[in-house]
Amino acid sequence: MVILGQHLFNGLLIGCAYALIAIGLTMIFGVMNIANFAHGEFYMLGGFVAYYLVSLVGFNYFLALPTAVVLVVVLAIILQHSIFRRLRDAPLMTTTLVTIGLSIFLEHSALMLWGPQPQSIPNPFPTKPLSFFGIYTTPLYIFSMAVTAALIVVGHLLIRRTRMGKAMRATFQNKEASALVGIRIDRIYMYTFAFGAALAAAAGAVLGGFIPVEPTAGGIITLKAFIVVILGGLGSFVGAIVGGILLGIAEALGAGYMPAGWKDAIGFFAVILVLLLRPEGLFKRA
Amino acid sequence: MLDRNGQRLLTAAFGLVLLAIPFVVHDSYYLHLFVVAAIFVIVAVGLDLIVGYVGQLSLAHAAFFGLGAYISALLSLRLQWSMWIGLPAAALFTGLVAFLLGLVILRTRGHRFIIITVAFAELMKLVATNWVDVTRGFMGLPGLKIPNLYVPGIGAVDISSKERFYYVVLAAAVIAFLLCRTMVRSSIGRAFVLVRENEGLAESLGISAFRYCMIAFVVGAALAGGAGSLYAHYVGFVSPDLFNFSYVTIMLIMVILGGKGTLIGPALGAVIFTFLPELLREASHWRMIIFALILIVTTLFMPRGIIFPLLEHVVPKRWRARHVDAS
Amino acid sequence: MRAQTLFRIVVAHFAISWFALAGAQEPVRIGVVQPLTGPVAYDGNIYVNTVKMIVDGMNAKGGVLGRPIQLVIEDGACNPAQSVNAAEKLVVRDKVVALLGAFCSTSTAATMEVAKKYKVPLITGISTAAQLTEQGNPYFFRAVATTPMLGDAFGGALPTAVKAKRFAFLVLNDDWGRSMVASYPKAIQKAGGEIVATEYFLQSELQFLSHITKIKASNPDAIILAANTQQAVGLTKQIRELGITVPLIGEGSWTSDSYLKLAGPTSEGVYGLVEYLYTIKSPINDAFVKDFRAKLNENPSKFAGAAHNAINIVVDAIKRAGTTDPEKIREALKTTDYNGIVGNIKFDDKNQAYGQTVYLGLVKNGVPEVVTTAQIAKP
Repeated sequence: MVILGQHLFNGLLIGCAYALIAIGLTMIFGVMNIANFAHGEFYMLGGFVAYYLVSLVGFNYFLALPTAVVLVVVLAIILQHSIFRRLRDAPLMTTTLVTIGLSIFLEHSALMLWGPQPQSIPNPFPTKPLSFFGIYTTPLYIFSMAVTAALIVVGHLLIRRTRMGKAMRATFQNKEASALVGIRIDRIYMYTFAFGAALAAAAGAVLGGFIPVEPTAGGIITLKAFIVVILGGLGSFVGAIVGGILLGIAEALGAGYMPAGWKDAIGFFAVILVLLLRPEGLFKRA
Repeated sequence: MLDRNGQRLLTAAFGLVLLAIPFVVHDSYYLHLFVVAAIFVIVAVGLDLIVGYVGQLSLAHAAFFGLGAYISALLSLRLQWSMWIGLPAAALFTGLVAFLLGLVILRTRGHRFIIITVAFAELMKLVATNWVDVTRGFMGLPGLKIPNLYVPGIGAVDISSKERFYYVVLAAAVIAFLLCRTMVRSSIGRAFVLVRENEGLAESLGISAFRYCMIAFVVGAALAGGAGSLYAHYVGFVSPDLFNFSYVTIMLIMVILGGKGTLIGPALGAVIFTFLPELLREASHWRMIIFALILIVTTLFMPRGIIFPLLEHVVPKRWRARHVDAS
Repeated sequence: MRAQTLFRIVVAHFAISWFALAGAQEPVRIGVVQPLTGPVAYDGNIYVNTVKMIVDGMNAKGGVLGRPIQLVIEDGACNPAQSVNAAEKLVVRDKVVALLGAFCSTSTAATMEVAKKYKVPLITGISTAAQLTEQGNPYFFRAVATTPMLGDAFGGALPTAVKAKRFAFLVLNDDWGRSMVASYPKAIQKAGGEIVATEYFLQSELQFLSHITKIKASNPDAIILAANTQQAVGLTKQIRELGITVPLIGEGSWTSDSYLKLAGPTSEGVYGLVEYLYTIKSPINDAFVKDFRAKLNENPSKFAGAAHNAINIVVDAIKRAGTTDPEKIREALKTTDYNGIVGNIKFDDKNQAYGQTVYLGLVKNGVPEVVTTAQIAKP
């Protein structure tokens, strides 16, 4: 029973991260109509930049995390301005190929700059495990979960309560009409892309303390994020959250009770199932 | 465009060059590249049917390649079936898997389709890695051999040397190319293009997008599976690395940069992008960075690929818009 | 200076140096296939740097057979296909007379075929999966004890040494890890222990929470692992983070400097089943360790030790063969009687090394001390 609890906890920890990453991806999908295959690279960059800020530049850990996110956002804005702006009404194949190219570019640039060695971000948390009801965790795990949950809430508030968020949702629902009422679509695109990158980078920075970041991490992260987005529904914020947490828990339980190597297959099977039974995903576009 | 005689001359000249390669090239390493290039020509023309002609961005192609390789390897190692049976078996099986997959996913379009193909590819990789009892997982399946060729009158001919095997793969590549070309020039090909350009119109004319997508998908997959079998036996070793995303990327680059929807373009792309990585071997990470940049730039600014615009620049008046379908 | 004069000077320079080179000795080329990138890149690079360091020392003393030794290094990335390509290139294009590689047992298994095809000897100082020397490949030499040999040597001692009865395996899912699971239990069980769980993980994994939770559920007294630096560190930390305090016993890089540094305090009390420790006391090793610390700024790990053995054995064989003919080198290898940092090494009929000492080490205050040793008997 305790072991089940441990698996559930592990799953929740990873699931919150999945959710955070997927939210950004689903918004980029919904607003910009782009399948961002480079999304995982933002996660990776968030982790690596944070690592170097702490270990090389000597930043305080808690300062390094948001700084890393800001730096990645700057990169995202540059990319958006130079490349994605041209792709505003481009066909799907074009945008997808471009994001795939971008993903490779970022991954190999990282490999070249930083080498293949995975790095854990040094952090000030004590490593002694804490336990409650027989379930073990560490202060770092709890911090990670708290931050990811907080960021999800912040993201939700940004989208629901701010003017920018409303503009994003309007663009989402009807691009032409939004343009007609004076919403600057280019601006919205930039904010959406930056928003997505920020959340992914945050996830990378926060998890980098206990899951070592490596330059090739982006690929599998992108894949998991896509799975969550399909499960939850393209463009659905709530879907991304629910889907992410469900996937995390499903994988942890799956790994717990069958040969662990197969746990990644759970997501893929789930996607195929969803496609067969409910193609729009669990939730409609929010 | 060259007139018919001119075309025939050009094709004949080209064919002679291809046939002469093992006599002219003695460096074992470059011969190796020619063999691999020929194998990838098969993959590329198959992928062009899907990406170029029907217009669906499938990222599962490397998975079909790998699947064919594994099937052929397993048949060879467990049942002692030679490559001559393994190859068609691999092609058929891969085609069948593509058919089943297509039933599930070819009704979707857009992002979902693309992501499903990725998910399928990853699933294949997982199976190859984790079903250790059958596939030996990460340890791979070593010890594959190229079988002898039985020629009536001569008996068993050893074709395992690079020079000889080159002719085998060259023949396979030519057959694959001609098969695709016949299909593309027929009414099936016209249907492909119509589905790609205007699905609604096609449907209203009674041309089922699903059906034609399926045809392209299955044929493309079968070709990739057959190519995988050739590759497995040539390299002698099969491992889950065949399912790495990098293979898909290279295949796409071959097709897109070669000029999707032209068959010749991807075929040439296959040759160029087999040699180019090896020539840039020293560069390693730079190599992939350059490729990524090429991919991005080409996609943004050169939708017809690199080869044809380049050729047109060089041979402007003679190259008329024969390849109207391109892009 | 006028361009023409400059041009003439440059041409003259080239002409002179060309003649000089033509007169110089043709180097003896030795190929190295090691993971320079990928999951075990760290240890692979240590191996390569060690070989380079030793060869530089040899060349300073005149090289071998009066000729300089030239290392040609390719990245195998611990990936069978890539290792095969690398080996092919080394043999066909660079015309190496011997190969060192390829680190991971699975890659070495694939590379062996290349050695056999081109009749060039291949030596590994690292790959320990048992079946490599069972394949009857006359061109493959293994200069290190196999996993089953380590199991026989120390398996029986483990229950007493770590005071445990219930053992769990947490190993890499490849030839190496599986070899461990196939061979260790016998000796452990004979000494009164039992195996309560077995978990396999992939080379690409960095987060092992599920595996560890499952192992925890089986309630072991000790965990036996197979992993190299990058994964070993993650495993150690995460095992402790999940509240498991039992001893960890590892094959792989569990006593190397990189592991100790990255794992920090969690490495305390970890046991290593190794073929070399820098704390071995012998004249040869003292000199090696001193040199290593001076040039590479850390203590040599077992991979450095493996490199030391491999390159020295190959060069020794070339010396004894008196020629760079790969076939003669191979024959000379068979009659190796080499004394190095871990004692005497000879090869049996299957080209498997025997006679050397192996070590059970324990990390105390950040230093891997020798707990007990064993000598590998002739199989």
